Amino acid sequence: MNLILKKDHLKHLLNAWRQDYEVYAPQSLQNFTHFLPLQDGFELAFDKAHNTRIPPKALFLPTSEALLKFTRFGGYEEVPSETAPRLIFGIHPCDAHAMTMLDTVFEQERYTDPLWKARREATVVVGLGCDEPCKTGFCTTVGSGPFNHAGLDAILTDLGEIFLVEILTDKGEYLFTQLETASEDQSMQASEVQQAAKASMPIAFETEGLKQKLDQNFASPYWEEVSRSCLGCGVCTFLCPTCFCFDIVDEAQRGERVRNWDTCMFRTYSLEASGHNPRPSRVERTRQRLSHKYSYWLDQINQIGCTGCGRCVRYCPVGLDIRAMLRKAHQLPSEVLHA
Amino acid sequence: MLMPDIDALKAEAKRILSEGMVDMVIGFKAGDTPLHPQPAFFKTPDEVDQLVYNALCQNNLATYLTRFPKNQKIGMVVRGCESRSVNALVFEGQHPKDGLYLIGVPCEGIIDWRKIVEQTGEEVFSIFEQSNNTVLVESKSGFFTLEKETLLHESCSRCIHPNPISANVVIGELLPEGDPALAREKVAAFASLSMEERHAWFRQEAERCIRCYACREACPMCYCEECFVDHITPRWTESGTTPAGMQGWHIVRAFHQTGRCTSCGACERACPMDIKMTYLTEKLNEDMRRKYNFEVGLDATTPPPFSTVTLDDKSRFVI
Repeated sequence: MNLILKKDHLKHLLNAWRQDYEVYAPQSLQNFTHFLPLQDGFELAFDKAHNTRIPPKALFLPTSEALLKFTRFGGYEEVPSETAPRLIFGIHPCDAHAMTMLDTVFEQERYTDPLWKARREATVVVGLGCDEPCKTGFCTTVGSGPFNHAGLDAILTDLGEIFLVEILTDKGEYLFTQLETASEDQSMQASEVQQAAKASMPIAFETEGLKQKLDQNFASPYWEEVSRSCLGCGVCTFLCPTCFCFDIVDEAQRGERVRNWDTCMFRTYSLEASGHNPRPSRVERTRQRLSHKYSYWLDQINQIGCTGCGRCVRYCPVGLDIRAMLRKAHQLPSEVLHA
Repeated sequence: MLMPDIDALKAEAKRILSEGMVDMVIGFKAGDTPLHPQPAFFKTPDEVDQLVYNALCQNNLATYLTRFPKNQKIGMVVRGCESRSVNALVFEGQHPKDGLYLIGVPCEGIIDWRKIVEQTGEEVFSIFEQSNNTVLVESKSGFFTLEKETLLHESCSRCIHPNPISANVVIGELLPEGDPALAREKVAAFASLSMEERHAWFRQEAERCIRCYACREACPMCYCEECFVDHITPRWTESGTTPAGMQGWHIVRAFHQTGRCTSCGACERACPMDIKMTYLTEKLNEDMRRKYNFEVGLDATTPPPFSTVTLDDKSRFVI
């Protein structure tokens, strides 16, 4: 069932939700947008068509967080994992889809991350579809899309004066109880907007057979070529909604065991205690980043580990474009001949 | 508008490659969009056909210099700041001067692509620098004529040395030197704030950091095999994005640049969080100019004041 949310009613609705949830929505922070909790007198920042600079994964896996506190005399206490009810409003489908992939990492049967799980369970996610998909995005290429439903409890389609609301889960239904039902015409109109958005996105690269190309060319000079100008910073991975790597550090002076974002693009990420580094240069690290997303994820969950949000393309300080890298990869020989 | 002649630039790059004077020329090539030209490494004269040079080439190419063996002969397209970074690296023994061939281009400043996109939308098809100091941008939303001055990075608006220094050849007409007063004004304006205001600014900037270290990697002078933040025993700073960790990174990073920073601004251009950093290094640079009459990279032989120790030093704490 589809519902109608009038735009001039949106603030009222968000304020009503604030009684029951901590509501996060994109707001301006410096020169970009960020998911911040709504305060009195909030201003939404939807006019900037882009994704927020930092993906909303940070609301579930913060850049740094204490896992437990300890004393010098051996005692310790875990940080409680309870989370107050939260609502994320206006998340784009690529970011929500990414969260479902991260669930497969943090909510595995044998190894469940209590902090991640508690936050996921306490959070309702309302998406805003992309009627004007961003130029750097390539969601349709990688099996997501500007109106993909994965990871969302409800999704909005912008129809000018109104949003059409599609309810996707019970959690979502609970949020929108007071709204009028959409007419068939309105639902049709939304469906046209959604189709047009999808159709406007060119296929950025061929994914069929890409995994095999990457696997077969593990030792190819291709990796040196595409990583030559890479600075080895963490922009692409830190801003990536599906990258989840972390490091656990004891901040002894504060008595805290801390989890920090980490990235395979850093030298220290794969540096072993012996001093050996199995990924000694940017060549191996770049190979890891691309192969993880376009090969290893497929082995694990049979999905590409990228939702095409385009942040890595937009913010790479040297203009490296993963789409161009993968187009090139697809042209690599299928069978590498060994001497 | 005195954009260097791209054909002359290519011809020189091809010449030094074909005559075997260098093993490689580091320059830029076109990226997937006109907004993002990419650093490129040309090894044959034919590859040089891809060479581009324009105001959107935002990286300091000298940052790549320390990646190559010292016996490799390297050509590089350098602007004022890059040539000074190269000199600073040569002084620090990172590459021998005679293993370098610098093709200098006078630089009128680097454009912040974000400032273009704000006005034109992100789907940009072409960007032309026009002779009247405007930039013509064609995007999906139409044609835009933008004042170049308004698009420049802050570090470029206050540039003192736009002309390449110690270049083997300069292509294009030399530009008038910048006014150090411009840099000084910025520093003075910040210094005139109250301590609370300055601290608030520092915190607001530093604590937005996600510790991706793009600033470090983009900086030619940050070439340590092991950065102080990665050092484990002893630990110099907190690892995470706590206020102490982020402040620690930003303040120590700046101090390590004392007498070494060329004000190129590559750190700010690389930052994904739009964090201002040059207000710290500019203060240090201004102190170097004022107290020691020193600017880094004007040659490859004058030691930076903080890199020298003499037996008659006033302060004996190092020896």
